[in-house]
Amino acid sequence: MDLVLQLLFTGIGIGSVYALVALGFVLIFRATNVVNFAQGEFSMVAAFLMVVFSVKIGLPYWVAFIIALICMAGLGAVFNLAVYYPLRHRTYLPVIISTIGASIFIANTTLAIHGPEPEVLSGWFDTPGFMLGPVYFDNQYVLIIVVTALLVALQYWFFEHTLLGKKLQATSQDKEMAALLGIPVAVMIMITFVYSAVIGGIAGILVAPVLFVSIGMGATIALKAFAATIIGGFGEVTGAIIGGLALGVIETFGAAYISVPYKDGFAFLVLIAFLIFRPQGIFGERVAEKA
Amino acid sequence: MSLLELKSVVVRYGEVEAVDGISLVVEAGEVVTLLGSNGAGKSTTLRAISGLVKPASGDILFEGQSILGLRPEEIVRRGIAHVPEGRRVFPGLSVRENIMLGASNRSGLRKAQIRREADEMFDLFPDIRRFADALGWTLSGGQQQMVAVARGLMAKPRILLLDEPSLGLAPVIVQAVFAIIAEIRRRGTTVLLVEQNARMGLSVADRGYVLETGKLVLSGTPDQLWSNEEIRAAYLGGRTAAA
Repeated sequence: MDLVLQLLFTGIGIGSVYALVALGFVLIFRATNVVNFAQGEFSMVAAFLMVVFSVKIGLPYWVAFIIALICMAGLGAVFNLAVYYPLRHRTYLPVIISTIGASIFIANTTLAIHGPEPEVLSGWFDTPGFMLGPVYFDNQYVLIIVVTALLVALQYWFFEHTLLGKKLQATSQDKEMAALLGIPVAVMIMITFVYSAVIGGIAGILVAPVLFVSIGMGATIALKAFAATIIGGFGEVTGAIIGGLALGVIETFGAAYISVPYKDGFAFLVLIAFLIFRPQGIFGERVAEKA
Repeated sequence: MSLLELKSVVVRYGEVEAVDGISLVVEAGEVVTLLGSNGAGKSTTLRAISGLVKPASGDILFEGQSILGLRPEEIVRRGIAHVPEGRRVFPGLSVRENIMLGASNRSGLRKAQIRREADEMFDLFPDIRRFADALGWTLSGGQQQMVAVARGLMAKPRILLLDEPSLGLAPVIVQAVFAIIAEIRRRGTTVLLVEQNARMGLSVADRGYVLETGKLVLSGTPDQLWSNEEIRAAYLGGRTAAA
């Protein structure tokens, strides 16, 4: 029983990271009807920026964190203008290819600037963790879960209770109609990209102390987050969160009870099962196709 | 000076001229109906006015100033609200939220003020009051049409462009929708109405234009249009046109 609780905690911790990256997927998908295949690179770039500001330059952790996120906001804006905006009147295919190209470009630019060796980023706290009853709480995992919960709550409040949130939703549901009402569609999409880059960045910085900071980390996280969005139901915010948490828990339990080397395999096994038996995901079907 | 004036507007979709040199005027306070069969260019004309498509040539004047080439967001800020074909209610937002967003063209409003105005809209559309918190996609076609018109009115437009408000609705609902158009007119909002249903379209209009394959072929008061035998047979033929 103790082990189960311990695994549950770890699974929810890693699942929170998938959920954050998945949120970025969903938000951009809803605003532009396109999957942003460079979403994982946002996490990777932010982790490297954190290494530069915190480890190499030696700024205090929280200062480095804030500067890294400001850089991520800038990257999100440039990404929108360079990768999405010129193709906004085209079908989804050129845009998807554009994001795949951007993903390769960002990963290789980072490689060219930094080199291939992985970096280590320490966690936010000096102490590693604490025992509470039978469960060992790793401080970094606690931080990941708390930050994810706060961001999800903040985002829920923003989308459900502010006019700007409603305008963003309207834009994601019908851009032409939103424009007819006077909603500045280009601004709404810009906000979405900036926000997605920032939460992708937060996810990358939070998970960096748990993993190594490497060029490939973006692709790994993005693949899991992508699976999470499909399990949850593509385009659904709740689905992304539940799917991310579920995936984290499943792979943690799979690794503990069945096989460690096949850890990643369990996540994709679940994904394949969903694609075959419930392709619309857990929360699919809630909103009908264009009324 | 007319409120809205189209001068020889041409709109092309690729090689096809969907609108082929249309000139028309709408005076302040009028209800003008644009009649014509499917594919005559009625919707395209409205889309050109609201900036969704760019005319290949010609000019569109609103209050004497050209609005050609302005983005839809800017055009609605000047006071032209377009309720497009197919109602286009946001499926994932509630009825009240849909209506509130209609005020997006007016700057400097507080959320509480917009909410109050949206609730006042339910006086004009009592049938949708009880669906205020229901999501858009759960409504019937007639209810969605009411939401779409209410949302258009929230813009406090100088002119309201209505595209086929009767399309796909049961006759009794069509009656209700046109009763609302008559009420909008009584309140002094100018309306440019596009309709296939000639009988209903002319019943609320001061003047009408008839479009045929992208060209205007006739204009006049409803009585004049009714008395033209050829037109009457082609477009205003009672029950078949109303179907």
